[in-house]
Amino acid sequence: MVISTALSARIREAGLAYLLLLPSLAFLAAFTYWPILRSIWFSFHDVVLGDSKIIWLGLENYQRLLEDRLFWKAFGNTAFYTVITIPLAITCALLLAVALDSKLRGMAIYRSAFFYPVMIPSVAAGMVWVFLYSASYGPINKGLSLIGIPDTAWLYDSKWALPAIMVMSVWKYSGYFMLILLAALKLVPSDLYEAARLDGISAWNRLIHITLPLISPTLYFVIIIGLLHSYQIFDYVYVMTHGGPADATNVLTFYIYQNGFQYQDVGYASTLANVLLLFVGGLIAVIATVFGRRVHYLGR
Amino acid sequence: MAEVILQGVSKAYNGRPTVHAVDLTVADKEFMVLVGPSGCGKSTTLRMIAGLEEITAGRLLIDGADVTHAAPQKRDIAMVFQSYALYPHMTAYRNMAFGLLKTTSLGKTEVDRRIRAAAEILHITHLLERKPNELSGGERQRVAIGRALVRQPKVFLFDEPLSNLDAKLRTRMRGELKRLHKELGLTVIYVTHDQIEAMTLGTRVAILSQGSLQQVGAPMELYMRPANTFVATFIGTPEMSLLRCAVKADGTGSRLDHESFSMVLDADAANPDVFLGVRPEEIHVHPHSVPGMARGIVERTELIGSEALAEIMLGQDRITARMPVADVPESGAQVSLSFDLTRARLFDANTGRALAA
Repeated sequence: MVISTALSARIREAGLAYLLLLPSLAFLAAFTYWPILRSIWFSFHDVVLGDSKIIWLGLENYQRLLEDRLFWKAFGNTAFYTVITIPLAITCALLLAVALDSKLRGMAIYRSAFFYPVMIPSVAAGMVWVFLYSASYGPINKGLSLIGIPDTAWLYDSKWALPAIMVMSVWKYSGYFMLILLAALKLVPSDLYEAARLDGISAWNRLIHITLPLISPTLYFVIIIGLLHSYQIFDYVYVMTHGGPADATNVLTFYIYQNGFQYQDVGYASTLANVLLLFVGGLIAVIATVFGRRVHYLGR
Repeated sequence: MAEVILQGVSKAYNGRPTVHAVDLTVADKEFMVLVGPSGCGKSTTLRMIAGLEEITAGRLLIDGADVTHAAPQKRDIAMVFQSYALYPHMTAYRNMAFGLLKTTSLGKTEVDRRIRAAAEILHITHLLERKPNELSGGERQRVAIGRALVRQPKVFLFDEPLSNLDAKLRTRMRGELKRLHKELGLTVIYVTHDQIEAMTLGTRVAILSQGSLQQVGAPMELYMRPANTFVATFIGTPEMSLLRCAVKADGTGSRLDHESFSMVLDADAANPDVFLGVRPEEIHVHPHSVPGMARGIVERTELIGSEALAEIMLGQDRITARMPVADVPESGAQVSLSFDLTRARLFDANTGRALAA
């Protein structure tokens, strides 16, 4: 009798839990999982945006992708952007967080100042940087001319356009990562640093051997988030360069947009999206395997 | 090992004084305990010695060298923290080796030798490959002490190292610390709020209150001859009872008048307003009315094993007496009281300072 009462209470509790989860699950199913399944299905077909006629192609879209020079260009651009931007942004964020994790006066103002770029909408930030990078009236060129460096058309030069977007991304991401890392730093017990100071451990060794291992779960999280962000980069490219010049800033998400919405080739765009999803998933799995083992959770 | 001298050491935060001109000399191989209630400035004083807090005024000398403004690592000291401060991602071995490997030119063999020797002394050899989360509180404490030992510093600082341990383990660790101090001849400065810890561990004890040093002396000296009412009531469990009395001169000498009794005073007391301080074991309780003795009412009794404590109201004053369990009176009973005045102390009622015996 007691057992059956306990069982029914558990069933009731579980039922309530599922009921509360239902709205979120419905949204996820409608706007995430169903589109993924549709996209997989589309990738095996010739689908034109706005046309109800769908033709079975088998693996033709995937074969086309392998031979698509522009896909490899966009893939290379995205990889280059990720490999440089994310480590650079995380390093800047970490240094900022360590500097701001002090009890000096005015730190709250500095924290807000560095976080400010995060609050600016991407499109607005992109427009501001278009102005900054302007070849004729941009403050960057004006500043550089003071030290004798000739004007550069940053966003119109295929050599500089992608690095220019990367600099802007570092500026935008650093504050966001800084805030997350700063929160992690606050959790490291101060007496560990005091013990290290008494031992004469240098600031560098404290950072490498104490701080980094103890904030490694957060660092791990920031790396994954950074990776996801970098493979979703679209807005800056759209606003600042539109993928140009000569596809120098064409990244995978922009190329997917071009195929899906400009060339209306939904089947091929879906193929690109699926490959991107697989690649990012694989990359995260590799990072989780390599880095996940080194993560140390405080108190465990 | 070395002598540590504090000369007028003070600390102020934003102009607000926390530690006032502490003068203290810790002799070589001495076990000095800084004790006092929370917020008395004992930990701040220890942290100033460690170099973790700036000294606002005064001088600090270790082994004759002025280290007032020297960086912590330049002072040749090691500290054991209340929280142990072990690096949670490193094994016990690595915790002990880390500082030596990163800051000295000692080879791995010598570092290993030191760690093994310290582990042997502390009985933690079998724990060296474990991480702090795999150790009990007492084991972590030993590793933290081991980390300090392997450095072979001039001075060991302990900041309430036993506070996080349960009562039984605390007693055991007290014995261990005493053994280590004796066997290795360490110079130790030890902070605690626990007066029993202070009395049992310290060669000498320094008592602090509100940032000021109240008295420095051997444990029994503090117990027997407290310099003021603060020390008198802080040291000893239960605390010394203070009875408000008036000193009056009569034809032949002086008398000590309390609202419940009057007695002849052997010594002269310049101040008429005094406190008579008596320890619980110096109060004798008689169950029956004894002519000429003070009369009090038993408020409460407590059995603490082989002995009992009785709180007794004597006029407006509450006093605590210690007695064998067999002699404990009933609550509410009227009792007669006598005092062993050979060890009783008089304190100036206005300043709280002890008067000459």
